[in-house]
Amino acid sequence: MAALDADTWAALRGAFPSALPIDADPSGPVVPVDLHVAVARFLKESLGFTMYVTVVASHWPQADGSDRFEVATVLRRPSNPSVTAAWRLQIGPEAEVPTLFPLFAGADWQEREQFDLVGVRFTGHPDLRRLMMPEDWEGHPLRKSYAIDTPHPPWR
Amino acid sequence: MGSSTSHGAAPPPPAPTRDVRPLRMRVNPFLDIDQYDPEADLMALNMGPQHPSTHGVFRIKLFIDGEVVVKAVPYPGYLHRGVEKLCEKLTFAQLVPIVDKHDYVAPMTNEQAIVRVVEEALKIEVPRRARVLRTILAELQRIASHLLWLGTFTLDIGGTIGGGASVMMYTFRERELILDLFEMLTGARFHYNTHTPGGNRHDVPVGWPERVKKVCDVIAARLPEYTAACTDNDVFDLRSRGVGVIDAATALELGLSGPNLRASGVDHDLRRDAPYHAYDEVGVNVAVATDGDCWARYIVRMAEMEESLRIVRLLIDDIPQGPITALKPVKLHTQIKVPAGQHYAAIDTPRGELGTYLIGGGAEKGAAAFRLKIRPPSLHAMAALPWILPGNTVSDVVAILGSLDPIMGEVDR
Amino acid sequence: MTLLSNPWIHGLVVGTPVLLVFLAASALASWWERKFAGRMQNRLGPTIVGPFGILQPFADALKMMQKEDIVPRAADRALFNLAPVFPLALALAVLAVVPFGGSWAGDEWSSALVVADLDIGVIWVLAVSGLMVFPTWMAGWASSNKYTLLAGMRSVAQGVSYEIPLVLAAMVPVVATGELSLSGIVAWQAEHGWLVFWPPGPGLFAFVIFFMASLAEANRIPFDIPEAESELVAGVLVEYTGLKFGLFMLAEYTHTIAASVIASVLFLGGAHGPMPEIFGPMWLVLKASTLFVIIYWIRWSWYRFRSDQLMDLCWRYLVPITLVLVMITAIMRGFLPGGAS
Repeated sequence: MAALDADTWAALRGAFPSALPIDADPSGPVVPVDLHVAVARFLKESLGFTMYVTVVASHWPQADGSDRFEVATVLRRPSNPSVTAAWRLQIGPEAEVPTLFPLFAGADWQEREQFDLVGVRFTGHPDLRRLMMPEDWEGHPLRKSYAIDTPHPPWR
Repeated sequence: MGSSTSHGAAPPPPAPTRDVRPLRMRVNPFLDIDQYDPEADLMALNMGPQHPSTHGVFRIKLFIDGEVVVKAVPYPGYLHRGVEKLCEKLTFAQLVPIVDKHDYVAPMTNEQAIVRVVEEALKIEVPRRARVLRTILAELQRIASHLLWLGTFTLDIGGTIGGGASVMMYTFRERELILDLFEMLTGARFHYNTHTPGGNRHDVPVGWPERVKKVCDVIAARLPEYTAACTDNDVFDLRSRGVGVIDAATALELGLSGPNLRASGVDHDLRRDAPYHAYDEVGVNVAVATDGDCWARYIVRMAEMEESLRIVRLLIDDIPQGPITALKPVKLHTQIKVPAGQHYAAIDTPRGELGTYLIGGGAEKGAAAFRLKIRPPSLHAMAALPWILPGNTVSDVVAILGSLDPIMGEVDR
Repeated sequence: MTLLSNPWIHGLVVGTPVLLVFLAASALASWWERKFAGRMQNRLGPTIVGPFGILQPFADALKMMQKEDIVPRAADRALFNLAPVFPLALALAVLAVVPFGGSWAGDEWSSALVVADLDIGVIWVLAVSGLMVFPTWMAGWASSNKYTLLAGMRSVAQGVSYEIPLVLAAMVPVVATGELSLSGIVAWQAEHGWLVFWPPGPGLFAFVIFFMASLAEANRIPFDIPEAESELVAGVLVEYTGLKFGLFMLAEYTHTIAASVIASVLFLGGAHGPMPEIFGPMWLVLKASTLFVIIYWIRWSWYRFRSDQLMDLCWRYLVPITLVLVMITAIMRGFLPGGAS
């Protein structure tokens, strides 16, 4: 399943002609970070992608030792037939992307989880705390630099 | 009474007693407790993680004014097992028994979700026999899961020593029949490990279809018993109607899915709208209710059980012959490698849209995922709690929590 | 008979068997309920201990005796330890005025099967059952736990509210018969017919409401809000262990039995029945057992009200209805032949 179907991509391209590449990446187009909220708003309000599906942050360590992060967001149009729309943001070691909480209430916990596990900060999130790990946990487990056998102090 | 006299204009319609604006506009889940009415005598009540009605280990902190919840702060994560990290180490064949343990009430559909994303990524054509078998298994699992939900929901509103327990005993009786079917097919009652990317591992045993048909008849005959015990009970009605209302817009925003979404009046079902397995052959009648309350969620699930029975009966008679596992392009399912690329695939489990976001090209040339994110429907249902709990009483907290059908293993992963 | 006319000796002679029989009955009731619930729920209930598992309550008691007796550090020790004593004492005290049998002619033997035939038996019953709120609140407060506190609050609100329809419904027999002693009410029913039938409408309604209010007083489903274990874990019993918990449980059964006994005395003719008077106790046991079965039948097939719905039911329906019932009974008493005294 391509991340965006052709019609959606055409409409999105029409709305943001200069910022988006011409061909849709089958893995989902890479959108500039400052357009993130605008794209989500356009998809939600103009194209009917009203259902919040998920946000996936991933950690891409570079050969030179620096960190890159990718944040993919998936929305769904709850119609028949139903399609999803996914796009990606690529960010550097600052690991900050704007939150989608003002548009989608479900982004609250999903973004908290990604912050918790990958360590991407969602600016503007009203309550960015850890979701899964204990509040005093050190590190972000889903980073590639976090070894799977990292010892942790006994549970208190 | 508001009846009009014979002369004069009709009186204005009575003002709505309930605030009907979307939840987004009237609830603030991040309410600052210090800014709340200083006259009010608030009490912080910690519910869980070892509370009997939190469906596992879930903790929710309630700020209550008398018995009315002012703010609810859920704390999931007590069952977090780091499965997504584990998924970056294990091969795709090893993942299937791992994801069995997420939604431990519906393991069958968990497996299907994870093998489906691999099949999507590698464009594996699943043989029709496997697709039909998967549809049957998914629907049987849906019945079993909804039965368990009904039992635990009545426990929540009826008490562990009371009428609720009686309903639960009966739902478990029927659920056992389905678990027996699964045991006959896979040898396991719970963690089946029967799906692999490209097909199923266990073929239909001799006599299984007949037994499925018998079980369907038994369950169909017993579903009216639940209607008698729940729908016809006035207290059940009182406890569930108008409680925990989620409007359609908020439900979509929150990412609710499955029966919880359909109960809010959104006519959306992945089985029909984005068909997978063999659902395009059977045509799914989607059950929708409009009220968005606990009652609607109950009605939708009851209707879904009927629909599942219909689908199973439709398919069980002629399971197509042929191979059960695709031989191309995967020759050995332990050797699956997913190249770099990002894929999202979802199926409709008994709890809703269980999606898997897979970034391929991980360790050992793609034998493991680079990043695998599971999108659990229960997590989104639990994310709704801070929005719907304020304004309800402590008694309704457990009713609402139960009606959303959360499985903590899936919430926390 | 002269020795028995001494109230102390009489009370001792009649009271001791009553005490023992009802304590044994409570234990038996807990076995029976588990068996009954088991059969209702497609399972067997206790089967291991003794024939048909009938010794299960004693096994439970033995187990509870071995449990560690834990008092929370923050608890009010005196109240916490005192609270389990009262429910059982109060539930048994209700039974002191119940006529378990006797003759209706008014001779000396009529009072022989009552521990204390008070002239104000009805008031005694209502007053003692009204006190039941206190041990629950004591337990709820003294445990120093938020769940028990909530349960205690609910229990007081529920107990105080349901006291009113309970008292008003009990007023229907009192107004109809003009008697305040329970044996007087039974004797009247033996003469004129059972009160559940007699004032043709009000009697039945008053019986149903009295029964409902008794359920609420005894914290049974669908009115078991104070110990709503799905939200409040175990209500006021959260912090109790071992024998103290056991005492609460025993009191719960005794209270339910007492409620069925009182309802059958007030409305179903008590020990009155078609056979000779010596069979009186048997009739009372039969009637009370029937009510008891109904209570548990309801318990294992119904859901629980929410506390605000419970208050709604009480104040918006039961209280006005019972008020009207008492008025109707007072009016009918003047006109109907059986009623005028």
